[in-house]
Amino acid sequence: MTPALRCDGVWFAYGASPAVSDLSFSLAPGERVALLGKNGAGKSTLVRLITGLLQPAVGTVWVGDWETRGRRPEQLARRVGSVFQHADQQLFASSIRADVEFGPRALGLPRAECVRRAAAALSALDLEPLAHEHPYDVPPPWRKLAALAGALALEPMLLVLDEPTAGLDRALRGLVARAVAQRAAAGVSVMVVTHDLAFAAEALDRALVLDAGRLACDAPLAELLGDAARLTPLGLVPPAVAALSRALALPGAPLRAAEVARALASVARPSRPV
Amino acid sequence: MAGLTLADVRFWYPATERPALDGVSLTVAPGDVVAVVGAVGAGASTLLLVAGNLAPRVTGGRLEGSVRTAPSGIVLPTPWTQASGMAFSVWDEVAFGPANLGVPRDEIARRVDRWLARLEVTQVAARDPATLSGGELQRVILAGVLAMEPALLLLDEPTAELDPAGAALVWRLVRELARADERCVLVATSDLDAIPAFATQVLWLQHGRVRAAGPPADVLARDDIWTDGPGATTVAGLWRQAGLAGPVPLTVADAVARVR
Amino acid sequence: MSGRHPFTLLALAAALPALAWTLPAPWGPAATLIVALTLCLPAPRVARTAFFTAAPFWLFLFLLHDRATALAIALRLSTMIASFVWLVAILPPARLVEALVSAGYSVHVAFLFAATLSAVPALRARAQRIVDAQRCRGLATRGGPLTRLRALRALALPLVLSALHEVDERALALETRGLSAGTRRTPLAPPPDLWVERVARWALVAGCVAAIVGRVLWRV
Repeated sequence: MTPALRCDGVWFAYGASPAVSDLSFSLAPGERVALLGKNGAGKSTLVRLITGLLQPAVGTVWVGDWETRGRRPEQLARRVGSVFQHADQQLFASSIRADVEFGPRALGLPRAECVRRAAAALSALDLEPLAHEHPYDVPPPWRKLAALAGALALEPMLLVLDEPTAGLDRALRGLVARAVAQRAAAGVSVMVVTHDLAFAAEALDRALVLDAGRLACDAPLAELLGDAARLTPLGLVPPAVAALSRALALPGAPLRAAEVARALASVARPSRPV
Repeated sequence: MAGLTLADVRFWYPATERPALDGVSLTVAPGDVVAVVGAVGAGASTLLLVAGNLAPRVTGGRLEGSVRTAPSGIVLPTPWTQASGMAFSVWDEVAFGPANLGVPRDEIARRVDRWLARLEVTQVAARDPATLSGGELQRVILAGVLAMEPALLLLDEPTAELDPAGAALVWRLVRELARADERCVLVATSDLDAIPAFATQVLWLQHGRVRAAGPPADVLARDDIWTDGPGATTVAGLWRQAGLAGPVPLTVADAVARVR
Repeated sequence: MSGRHPFTLLALAAALPALAWTLPAPWGPAATLIVALTLCLPAPRVARTAFFTAAPFWLFLFLLHDRATALAIALRLSTMIASFVWLVAILPPARLVEALVSAGYSVHVAFLFAATLSAVPALRARAQRIVDAQRCRGLATRGGPLTRLRALRALALPLVLSALHEVDERALALETRGLSAGTRRTPLAPPPDLWVERVARWALVAGCVAAIVGRVLWRV
């Protein structure tokens, strides 16, 4: 099966020192990956390489069976749906629905298809009640969700999200996690650049950690998040779920909220049958 | 003495019918750190603007009730709109506020160096603020406001752009400022997990009204803050989800103590 | 040039268009344009920006007017554009503010000037971010004129909207940095002002006045 995303010895430098060097990894369809690392580690550069805004100096980036080399971002948009930081600044249409339809329309899809895709994306994020509003009439967190809906409407095989939960409250973070899970279940690969390890624990499965442009770690999140010793040198702190799981030595070392709650119940009330 | 007192404050933004604040009363004494929580649009940002003497003076609109406030500094969630646009370097950016207040040159230098160090951004002091990352810029803006040494510090999502290490630094600093320098701090935040560590009071706003107010252990342990509000700390949520009874632990340490 | 006092730079950037419009065409505006372009020469990027900003005007003018009128207007507009672009590139807002404050102008006046000048690089950075984001949504930016025109809406609108949206926040934020305090601001690094430059500035002002007076007299 062709991986949704594959990097082969990718190397890129803005000036003298490399921003990413010797990156090799692949994402299978339906995989959900957290891209972690300190600021300056190369995460944004990698995102720009995947979306085609940058071309690797050495090595290749494959999106499905397409090389990014020689392809422009507007062509790769058929396969890669990306949301950058501060995406709320890219909205411009007179309504949120119209803005979400912009992506499919730019791809040249027939009108009916654009409407269908936009409706699906809006409902995935509970945005229908606000769909008729002007983007700048709604608070910034909802604008961020609207930008995410725009990427979902492209119905790409790979979603690349940069800090999708920054500035969102618990309820909205849950909506993002739900949308990610739905898409992954449908075979879409998802890569999320994030500092929000609580979100990563809840919504993602695998961790790619960048350090000074190199791939320092490629491991399941469950393995990485419970291990403070591995996280600290990478500038990361275990999220509360992981810390609790560890501190109480919960059976199975669960990370997802529902599992942790179940394990917690069994530990706190050992006499009660679960 | 110095501090913030709001008595039954109602505030309407220009040309709106529904008040953004609908009868809010609040007292913040020196040394207090009040965390304001609530859903988006509940009025937390508006409360900060009123406390900072910006609403209705700059925003326009109508205010009823009484506001007694101290000289304040406010930090908004979007650092790039707060950069003065007039500073060559980060050092000048931080010096901007004190210079406007007419602070003498050598005192400015002392303050800038001190706050750059405490926000751990000394290494970027010579750089152009426009080249900084969001996280660095947010810390620089915070340093700039702190360099004005306001009696009342108003922070609106101060960790929005920061990575976990930066966020931890800011919360530590907030706690120290209130305790050691006897300042009043009012923080609007959605980082609920951090609240027990730095806040002395929590104010839960809903539709412009105070739904609950009190120490974190009281407000964040409520059940209705989950069903009807922004939720509380992750540990509290897990405890609730596990269906466990009794005083709800807010932190991992609390939970461990309860279980053992 | 960049080492000169901000007021000198400001005077030059204002005098060139003033002279361009008052001196008789075509040699007057041509001369000022040559001066303006010479100022831009050390930074080819600035010269290029000026050129590409002015180019569409030349096209429209020659389509609409006869040769002599079109040339006159085009040269004058180009001088204005070139002077402004040069000023924005060479004068950091911070130095202008320091100069205004040292000279005793109120901080509000200083801010007004500085905000206009500093908006440009920030907007350029944001424009680039918006272009990148829209391209990743499938917007084609290369192609025929129709494609580019369509692209313009998706690029210009978000730029203007987000910039306007921020204006309120910016005013709010600056209010809190002590700008309205009413106290005299402490100058941090007042720029040096040579007497030669003072003389040059007054000479420029005098020259502009003479040109205006001459223009009026000639007409009469």
